[in-house]
Amino acid sequence: MSQPVIDIRHIDKHYGQLHVLKDISLSVEKGEVVVIIGPSGSGKSTLCRTINRLETIDSGEILINGTALPQEGRKLAELRSQIGMVFQSFNLFAHMTVLDNVILAPTEVLHIPKKQAREEAIQLLERVGVGDQALKVPAQLSGGQQQRAAIARALAMHPQAMLFDEPTSALDPEMIGEVLNVMTELAENGMTMVIVTHEMSFARRVADRIVFMDAGTIVEENTPEVFFAHPASERAQNFLRTLHAPQGED
Amino acid sequence: MSLSALLSQYGDRYLQSLFTTWRLTALSFLGAFVLGILITVCRVCPVKPLRAFGDFYVQIFRNIPGATLLILLVYALPYLKITFPYDVCVLIATILIPSAFCSENLMSGMNTIPPGQIEAARALGLTFLQILRRVVIPQALRSTVLPMTNLLVATMLTTALASQVPMRPMDLTGIVSYINTHATGGVTAFAISAALYCLTGIVIGRIGSFIDRKVRILR
Repeated sequence: MSQPVIDIRHIDKHYGQLHVLKDISLSVEKGEVVVIIGPSGSGKSTLCRTINRLETIDSGEILINGTALPQEGRKLAELRSQIGMVFQSFNLFAHMTVLDNVILAPTEVLHIPKKQAREEAIQLLERVGVGDQALKVPAQLSGGQQQRAAIARALAMHPQAMLFDEPTSALDPEMIGEVLNVMTELAENGMTMVIVTHEMSFARRVADRIVFMDAGTIVEENTPEVFFAHPASERAQNFLRTLHAPQGED
Repeated sequence: MSLSALLSQYGDRYLQSLFTTWRLTALSFLGAFVLGILITVCRVCPVKPLRAFGDFYVQIFRNIPGATLLILLVYALPYLKITFPYDVCVLIATILIPSAFCSENLMSGMNTIPPGQIEAARALGLTFLQILRRVVIPQALRSTVLPMTNLLVATMLTTALASQVPMRPMDLTGIVSYINTHATGGVTAFAISAALYCLTGIVIGRIGSFIDRKVRILR
């Protein structure tokens, strides 16, 4: 069996007294799309953020392509550069044009010549459908456009995997589709992805595997077909029953 | 002496003093700006002793009167066998004090940056210094143009300290002391200098507002 891109082994995390991640293990193979779902406060965002160490862990280990995630410093930065991340609130750099947002990390971190980075950035922005917005600053774009630009920014680093932390939760309903379309296209092209989302129909369509979390544990893992039709655990059954509307909260 | 008599007799000296004040102000502000950025980098860096040093520095130089600092530089340092020329002493004082305020401005400017942007930069693999240089400091500077304009005006007023040492050429405050010891310029002699300070300050303020409008970050 080939080595997993992301290998999470028995990790625990506390916020003070609160035990937010309880002995979590999860591995993601190359090209696999894993969608993490679960109620608010179940620890799914925290889990996603531990993968590139935006959240530290108390115990256990996380391997990226077989390399343990370093504690800090240059080594950690290097490993982070191989994992793309897309946030709920886009987090584009407000003082730069969209194009400069995409160029920044390739030139600073990968030392790609500016001209080449620029050409590639324009291609990426066109691929996600915001090529005509390249010279605007983020505040001039709609939420959906900003999020697509943020995806382009992450892709510019040629990441081995992409993390999506509730990428559509801050969007108006009419803009959710355009972001999910870009993500679907990525998945179809073989990108390794970990996605935290409340978009159940998207999860059912795109996921290779659904991970259901509740109260800091992984309660159930299954293919979307099995999970949505016949959830094994009572907690997953209850969760799915409460989700009549496709959009979740938070 | 009347205004016209003062101007005809001392006009050239006033002009020379105005340029001296401008030169001192420019050098002080430039020094304070660079030092302020360095101190701020210390205050936010991951190395705890550097953070402590940065905070200590700001507390000291924000809370010490300029005249006291100048007296220490001019009269106390020679006891340690360190003697600077008068104009250097003035410059040191007018750099150290504004640099502490500059750092405070920058710290408040940094607080306007949403933490998510820093996370995004870290997630892209940028190092601490790269994040500071490309994401944090440019935004902190853009959002503190008006406070920095205030600081520039305050720095100009602080350069009046130069009048307390026998510095040549004299600054705008020094020239008034000079005139009033050699003639009876009275309040008018002060008024001329005050007007020149005021005009400079107004021009600085206008330029500051203009730059602020140009570089302000859309959010």
